[in-house]
Amino acid sequence: MEAGQVEAAQKTGKCPMGHGSASLAGVSMTDPQVMAAPGPFYQALRKDSPVHYDAKLNMWLVSRYDDIVTVLRDPLTYSDKHGYAAQYASGFFEEFKQILERDGGGFFPDVIKDDPPAHTRVRRLMDKAFTAHRVATLEPQITALVNKLIDQLVAKAGDGQVVDGVNDFAIPLTIAVICEQLGFGQLSADKVKAWSQAVTAQIGRMQNREQMLANAAQICDLQNFIIAEMRAREAQPREDMVSDLVHAQTEDGKLEFGEAVSLVRAMIIAGNDTTASAIGNLIYVLATQPEVAKTLQESVDDDRLLNRFVEELLRIEPPVRALAKMTTKEVELGGQKLPEHAHVMVLYASGNDDETQFECPRNFDLNRTNLGKHVAFGVGVHRCIGASLSRMEIKVVAREVVRRLGDIKLAIPVDQITYAPTVAVRTIERLPITFTRRG
Amino acid sequence: MGVKVTFVQADGVEKTFDDVATGQSLMEVGRFNNVEGIMGDCGGSCACATCHVYVTPEWQAAVGPADDIEVATLDMVSDLFKSNSRLCCQIQLREELNGIRVVVAPSL
Repeated sequence: MEAGQVEAAQKTGKCPMGHGSASLAGVSMTDPQVMAAPGPFYQALRKDSPVHYDAKLNMWLVSRYDDIVTVLRDPLTYSDKHGYAAQYASGFFEEFKQILERDGGGFFPDVIKDDPPAHTRVRRLMDKAFTAHRVATLEPQITALVNKLIDQLVAKAGDGQVVDGVNDFAIPLTIAVICEQLGFGQLSADKVKAWSQAVTAQIGRMQNREQMLANAAQICDLQNFIIAEMRAREAQPREDMVSDLVHAQTEDGKLEFGEAVSLVRAMIIAGNDTTASAIGNLIYVLATQPEVAKTLQESVDDDRLLNRFVEELLRIEPPVRALAKMTTKEVELGGQKLPEHAHVMVLYASGNDDETQFECPRNFDLNRTNLGKHVAFGVGVHRCIGASLSRMEIKVVAREVVRRLGDIKLAIPVDQITYAPTVAVRTIERLPITFTRRG
Repeated sequence: MGVKVTFVQADGVEKTFDDVATGQSLMEVGRFNNVEGIMGDCGGSCACATCHVYVTPEWQAAVGPADDIEVATLDMVSDLFKSNSRLCCQIQLREELNGIRVVVAPSL
């Protein structure tokens, strides 16, 4: 969408064209052109086939906002646990599990993906660690980390090297933040990135056996690292989140060791991968949509506007585009009868783009009165636990980047931007940029 | 000794709970007792605005105002915001709130 189009649309009071139309015939969500630019596909789904069977994925795609909320508000009918299990290491699960049991200290299902009431027990324990009020106290240290990384970017660009907004900035930043929270000291960004991609690939439906074997080896490495850190804290507690988890008591007793491993693993991955994707998206948007960069410039000194900027960014470019559920009984959704054990894919990104909820959904509009209605963090019992931390990281980045860097531009043609090969997240793999120094 | 709390749901139905333990948040009472519109998705982290209530005028002084962080979260649902809006996960029950009455905001 061109800036001129947006302005023209705003003047006439009409929306721009949106994404344009797309045909659903013979098309899958996994097709490369859909993966790269999914908007027209989502729009066609919402219009013509809101609960749509994707033959290649063997899944029902849920694209309308109201249906998405219906699914997410009914976690016993649309089970995370069963959806996740069906999706996990799809096609290679037994072999994957054996590798983890043999080389990775065990196979530990994700407790965050359990169903109530088992999920509730652990969730209540974890909620306390991520409150908006606790996260607010982290702002100074996150600001310092962001500025340190911007210093490095500026130095590298000053040497005439190409700077990568994802690998030189977004990923190391989110890794540094979560390491500090967990108490890991500083881990190598390359290592955590490799771990994250290996874990995320297990729900991405797009790995072959060779990739599964490489990913399983990475996950074993990750788990062996976590287990060693936990064992050290069993003997000697420290002031960090891993220690809290090792010694945590839920309302009905102790957190099991395997549960704690899965929680630390989830925090390392969820704590960096999705937020890094959001920050990558932010830089991409600033580099390609001058009107949004201008909006940010004008909002940077007003905390309220800056919060709104972050929320609208999450609505318009949600890092998590889709997650799986499975029906536990026959049910009707959006006029479509679904059998028991149907594989369901919830398209958060399409919900955020639903024109029945968000007027002119492709307009970046800070003044929406229902900004908080977006589903980028999910809805219901599995709503993102790290939402406040993620918002804080994105906000500080937006503020500091705009204060210190100007005229951010892509250093490669836009059609050379590639996305990670997974249906679950929309993650830019590499983002070469140029910029000028400001102040 | 417990306190008495009343939620008026968006559909007009009143739900009153007697002898509720202090030290928990109003959101927890609403969620545990299936008060319609009190979801508490973020578990009381002040991050989601799914426990939005309007505090009735006679209770506003005792409850007090929202802090900056809560105001920021309420700003995300500005179409539903009123001057007596609060996120009830941020209202800790204490003896002075015995008899409190709140109206549940419409769902997002």
